[in-house]
Amino acid sequence: MSPHRSRRKSWLPALLSVALCGALPASAAECSTLSTPWPTQVWPEAREEVAATRAEQLRALEDYAFTLVGKDEERKGVRTDGLLLIHKGRIIYERYGRGFDAGKRHLSWSMSKSFTSALTGIAVRENLLSLDDSLCEYVKATRQSNCAISVRNLLEFASGLDWREDYENGGTHQTSSVLAMLYGEGRKDMVAFITAHEQQEKPGTSWRYSSGDTTLLAGVLDAALKPTYGREWPWKLLLDVLGMRSATWERDAKGVIVGSSYLHATPRDLAKLGYLYLRDGCWEGKRVLPEEWVTDSTKVSEPIMLKSYARGSDDVQGWQWWLNRPIPGVQAELPWPSAPEGAYAARGHWGQSMTVIPSKELIVVRTADDRDGSFSLDTLLKLSLAVVEGLP
Amino acid sequence: MKPSRLAVVLVASVAALSCGRGDTVQRPYDNNDLQLVTSYTAKDFCSCVFVMEMSEDYCKRWTAASPAVATVRVDYQERTVQTAAALLWGEKARFVNAREGCLLE
Repeated sequence: MSPHRSRRKSWLPALLSVALCGALPASAAECSTLSTPWPTQVWPEAREEVAATRAEQLRALEDYAFTLVGKDEERKGVRTDGLLLIHKGRIIYERYGRGFDAGKRHLSWSMSKSFTSALTGIAVRENLLSLDDSLCEYVKATRQSNCAISVRNLLEFASGLDWREDYENGGTHQTSSVLAMLYGEGRKDMVAFITAHEQQEKPGTSWRYSSGDTTLLAGVLDAALKPTYGREWPWKLLLDVLGMRSATWERDAKGVIVGSSYLHATPRDLAKLGYLYLRDGCWEGKRVLPEEWVTDSTKVSEPIMLKSYARGSDDVQGWQWWLNRPIPGVQAELPWPSAPEGAYAARGHWGQSMTVIPSKELIVVRTADDRDGSFSLDTLLKLSLAVVEGLP
Repeated sequence: MKPSRLAVVLVASVAALSCGRGDTVQRPYDNNDLQLVTSYTAKDFCSCVFVMEMSEDYCKRWTAASPAVATVRVDYQERTVQTAAALLWGEKARFVNAREGCLLE
């Protein structure tokens, strides 16, 4: 059974944990100390050593990521704005292009979703929310029947809401739910807009990639966390903890962060979420995410095995993370065959990605402006893995 | 693809990595192309200039969509971006602060 079922404001788990911690020896779930300094203030570096010994592999990686084709306005080919490799907690490679530098924030688009997922874990740790709670314990649903949707359903893209992530433009009216949410009738109050949708499937029984599910989750978190932590809760509970000083997270007109899409940060700061997950939810020796949260987040979610809508073959998802895993009974092949099974990524539109490869202790962050679909994350990971192959 | 439809493709996928997957027909929303494109351009141009701190030249290419927005006006003192198209349509986004970025008015 997942440990993430504690009830809100329950005193029992806290009491038990106090009682047990005194009696038991240190468990594997405790946060270990590391010899590498934590990157809260600044990432440790090992660039020069790697540049000297892995020049050929680095050149192949650069050739792939930074060779521009055609005129800029044609928007063709692989268009990398930033590329950052972190191996065993140290920067081993970093380069920027197309006017960006290490100090410039980049829109992360749907990488935001993985941050919203992490914040959900923190709310669970704080006993201010339980995954099996109805969303109506926190927000008002425009359509009452949507109270059947739980926090877990939102985390798993399993609300069952009749939602269109793509576009279908009819000139005077259009049917893209995500466009209407961000730029149309939904933008003033996204929670009200999302919960006005009808149910197409019973919650928890199907999977559909949906920025509506994530932004509704952000609305739930806002209601659960704001009374205790104020409207700056994403910073107090996560972004400041990791030292993400560059983070900008835009909101709707009601003040709810757009959990699906609008986080901006530098690649060095985006990588910190990957490092938190690589270290099993620990930061500076303290537990930030609940025990087993990282494991549970990076398992294939159950609804995706039941029924899925509009799922691409590289769409293998956990709790708002893209996974390099097969889906039992559905898909045997790995989305990124060049990378080890068990890698996972936060990904966003136009080529944004932050991939964690736990078995190699490697984090690969890429910001970009890809418009023609020619970029391959698998190729990027293959070339990145070649750089760290054999490194101590 | 017709140019008038390309518009929303560029804006569209936002969350996406998952476009072009039609299945059932959902309800239409009360928005049209020009309204969406003017608000998309106002918000994302504002974020591009004031959050990503890129040049207007870069931001024009970053937010380019079709149908093209007729005018984009950046006010550096007020930290706003105003867009307009086809006389009837116009939107304004305002930079709130470094943590909250831009917001459509």
